[in-house]
Amino acid sequence: MNIFSLAAKNLMRRHVRTGLTVAGVAIAIAVLFSLLSFNAGYERQLGGELNSLGIHMLAVPKGCPYEAASLIIHGGVIPKYLSYSDLEQVRKIDGIEIASPMLLHQFFKDDKPHIVYGINIEEQKALKPWWKVEGRYFRDDETGAMVVGRSLAEKENLKVGQVLDFGPGKVPTTIVGILERTGNQDDEFHFLPLAAAQHIFGKEGQLTTIAIKVDDISKISAISKKLEQIPDIQVVTMTQVMGTIMNLVGSAQALLFSVIIIALFISAVGIINTLIMSVNERTREFGMMKAVGASGWDVSRLIVIETLIITLAGCAVGLTVALGGSKLVEGFVRGVIPYSPGGELISIDPFLILVCIGFALAIGLLCSIYPAIRCARLTPMEAMRSDLE
Amino acid sequence: MRDTIIAARGLSKSYRRGSENVHALRATDLSVGKGEFVSIVGPSGSGKSTLLHLLGLLETPSSGRISLQGRETSWLKERDLVKVRRGSIGFVFQQFLLLPTLTVEENIELPLLFSRKSVNKDRIAGIMEMLELTHRARHLPHQLSGGEMQRVSIGRALVNEPGIIMADEPTGNLDTATADKIYSLFKRLNEGGLSLIVVTHNMELAGRADRVIRLRDGQIISD
Repeated sequence: MNIFSLAAKNLMRRHVRTGLTVAGVAIAIAVLFSLLSFNAGYERQLGGELNSLGIHMLAVPKGCPYEAASLIIHGGVIPKYLSYSDLEQVRKIDGIEIASPMLLHQFFKDDKPHIVYGINIEEQKALKPWWKVEGRYFRDDETGAMVVGRSLAEKENLKVGQVLDFGPGKVPTTIVGILERTGNQDDEFHFLPLAAAQHIFGKEGQLTTIAIKVDDISKISAISKKLEQIPDIQVVTMTQVMGTIMNLVGSAQALLFSVIIIALFISAVGIINTLIMSVNERTREFGMMKAVGASGWDVSRLIVIETLIITLAGCAVGLTVALGGSKLVEGFVRGVIPYSPGGELISIDPFLILVCIGFALAIGLLCSIYPAIRCARLTPMEAMRSDLE
Repeated sequence: MRDTIIAARGLSKSYRRGSENVHALRATDLSVGKGEFVSIVGPSGSGKSTLLHLLGLLETPSSGRISLQGRETSWLKERDLVKVRRGSIGFVFQQFLLLPTLTVEENIELPLLFSRKSVNKDRIAGIMEMLELTHRARHLPHQLSGGEMQRVSIGRALVNEPGIIMADEPTGNLDTATADKIYSLFKRLNEGGLSLIVVTHNMELAGRADRVIRLRDGQIISD
C-alpha cells in the first residue's frame, strides 16, 4: 500500500460521485480541446486552402476593400471592374509568371446564390495543375460551353452533355465537363470562357480581378509595390485575405469563446464544490489519520493526489471523447461561424493536448489547495469533531 | 516505583459554546507509570475523554504541561507533536474509525505508511494472529463484527510499537461478552509491558485495571 493506492481506494468508495466529477472534468476538457483544436485547425486549413488557389495575389479595383477581396475568393461579387488596359500593364511587370483575368458574377436560382467564373482556361489550368475533368475543358474562344464543380453537379444533378438555359438571356449552354473533386471552393462554381461570361452578363471588356502568380515568392512584396503604381489597381496578397477572413469569423469565434469560458468557469466551480464537499465529509477520517501518525503534509498530499487523479482521469476521458467526437463538434461549429475552410479542422496536436493536461492539473490544484491547507492545520481532535460545512 | 511514562501538571481545557464558557477540565495533575494499566471513569461530561485527548496530544490544553517519556511537549508545534504521537502512542476509538476501502491487513498497516516504515509482513501476521484476525486479513471492515473491528483498531494502534495505548470508550459500541474479550486483550498487552490508559463508563470493566481514576465536573475526585 502506498499513498497513491490509498487515494485511489478512497475515490472508489463513492464511485458515483467520483464518476460524476470525472464526467464534469471530462466535459470541460473535451470542450476546451475541441475549441482550441478547431481554432488552430481553422487557421491551418484556411492557409492551406488559400495556397491551393495557386495564386499569390489578386489585383482588384482600387477602393475595393479587403473584405471584398476575400469575397472574390469565395465567389462574392463587387461592383467595380478593371479593364484590359490594366491587364496589359500588369503583364508588363517583371517577375509575374501568370496574370489571369477573371470575371465573377453571382445569380440566384431558387433563392440560392450561384457563382459564375469567367476564366482563361489554359491559364487557370497552369495555376491549378491538380484540376482534372470528367468530359473536357472548354476552349477560350468557345461559346455555349461550361465546366461545373463536382459538388454543384451533385446538388443540381448535372451531367456532362446537359444543356442549361444560362444567365439573364437564357443562353443555351452545354456542360462539357465536370471537375473532379478539389476539396475547395471550386467544387461549387460554374466556369465559363471569359469572353462568353462577359457577353452573357453584359460585362464586355470588364474584369473583376486579375489572379497573379509570381515566379519567385520572395519578390511578392516588390511586385505588389509595382502593381500598386497602376492607377486603377489595388493589390491584395493571400496573407491579407487570410487576415480578412480571420477578422470576419473573429466576432463569431469571440462569441463562441465567451460562451465556452463561462461554461468552463461554471464547470470548474461545480468541480471545486464537489471536491470540497467530499473532503469536508471525511474530515473526521483525516483526524483519525493524524491521530495514528499522519502529518498535515501527509493529509494534504492525500487530498491533492485524490483530486489530481479525478482531474487527470477526467482529462483522459475528455480528450478521448473530443478526438472521438471531433466530427460532431466540427459540424456544429461550422454551422455557427460564417465561413469555414474544407478539410479536417480538429486533429491531434500534442501541444493542445499538453495545454488541456495543464488545464486539468490547474483545476485539480485549485480545487484541492484550500481543503488540503484547511485539513493540514486542524489538530486531530478538531478534525474528528468537525461537522459538515 | 515505576518510571513515569506520561505526566500532566495543572492541565486544564476550556472552550466557548455559544455564549457559555465550558471548563471541560480543571487544573489536573496526573502521572502514569511505565507498564501501568489505568482506567479513567466518570459520568458523561465529566472531562474523561478531554483528559485522554490532552494526554494523547490530540489537542492542545488551555493551560498546563504534559511530558511524555520525560520529554516536555507544551512548546511543540503540531508537526513535532505528530512525530511524538507516531513513536510513542497508539490510539483506539469508540467508533473504530477504520478506512472502509482497506482490508483488515491494510488498516493495520496504515500508520506505517505515515511513519515511512517498511511493512514487515511477519510482524503484521504476528499482530493479526495475536488478535485472532488472521482468517479475516483480506476482509473489509463492513464484513466484520464490532469486536473484530475493534481488534483491527487495536492492531493499528500496536503496529508502530508504541510505549502506551490510549483508548477512548473502546467497548462503548460492543456487547458485554465482546467488551469483556477486549478488556482481556488489554490485560494481556499490559502483562507484556505496555502502558494503557482506557476511558470507560463501565465500572465493572474499569475495575480490571491496576488503577482507576474517577472524574467529575472536570476534576479528579479519586485516584
